[in-house]
Amino acid sequence: MEHHYYFITEILAALGFEHFAHDWQHVTHSWFIMILMIVGAVFLAGGIQMLPKKGQNFLEITIETLENFMVDITGPEGRAFFPFIATIFLYIFLCNLIGLVPGFFSPTANINTTLSMALCTFVLTHAIGIKFHGVKYIKHFLGPVWALAPLMLIIEGIGHLARVMSLTVRLFGNIFGKEKILGVLFGLWGLYLVPLPILFLGILVSFIQAVVFMLLAIVYFAGAMEEAH
Amino acid sequence: MGVSFMGEDLKRTIRALGFLSTVGMSMVFAIAIGAGIGYYLDKWLDTSPWLLLVFFGFGLVAAFKNLHRIHKKSKTYFE
Repeated sequence: MEHHYYFITEILAALGFEHFAHDWQHVTHSWFIMILMIVGAVFLAGGIQMLPKKGQNFLEITIETLENFMVDITGPEGRAFFPFIATIFLYIFLCNLIGLVPGFFSPTANINTTLSMALCTFVLTHAIGIKFHGVKYIKHFLGPVWALAPLMLIIEGIGHLARVMSLTVRLFGNIFGKEKILGVLFGLWGLYLVPLPILFLGILVSFIQAVVFMLLAIVYFAGAMEEAH
Repeated sequence: MGVSFMGEDLKRTIRALGFLSTVGMSMVFAIAIGAGIGYYLDKWLDTSPWLLLVFFGFGLVAAFKNLHRIHKKSKTYFE
């Protein structure tokens, strides 16, 4: 395998965690993103005031845009799940973007990271369904005809597994591809600004994939909240 | 209400595009998952090739059911 230079890996290796840092780059980098998000939140929103200053203004606009985006689809009763949606968007967006900085690696370019988020979405979707409908939630899986109910259960089960898989693979594939192209271009023509257009496309892909992941999570939540037909 | 960076039309288009970009993947994966389940059940129960065929069929149905659901949802959410 080719050797890249990653700051976090080198720092951890210098501290004596060499094996761990080399084998679990996606984990250490997602820790870095988490620290970045926590520090950023404390820094920007520490000391909230009625008349917001720069940092608080920025955060308020971000959160409000996301909230409007969600409430448009789920209706006001979906607000309870907004923290999950906002977290997932900001986390994925930052994870995608950090890969554009030389010396860092996108945690989302590893399938384990994206699968973990897809599984969280999957579990929360069904938790929401059970919370809103109780035992009747099973009706979502049985279809309208009673005689076909066992068949529909299998078919719906496959459909729901396909959701998890498509969430996982879409995000992973896009970001992994971006990382690989950038790696190759930097290796070959890094000195002559050739990777620049791909960097631009990388920003676009990072944003679009974060939005799509969030949108699908919202749509799945809305589907779990509505009545079965 | 609220702050927004773009017009309503553009927002709706982007939302619909993002949502509809899932059509292909959800169809392919439903079929693949169905066939995969069938394949491993066959290996486990030693009934090759019947369960593979049956679950491939289930996967196909699930794929078209996903398609149908996406169509229905795109009507409710994006029009």
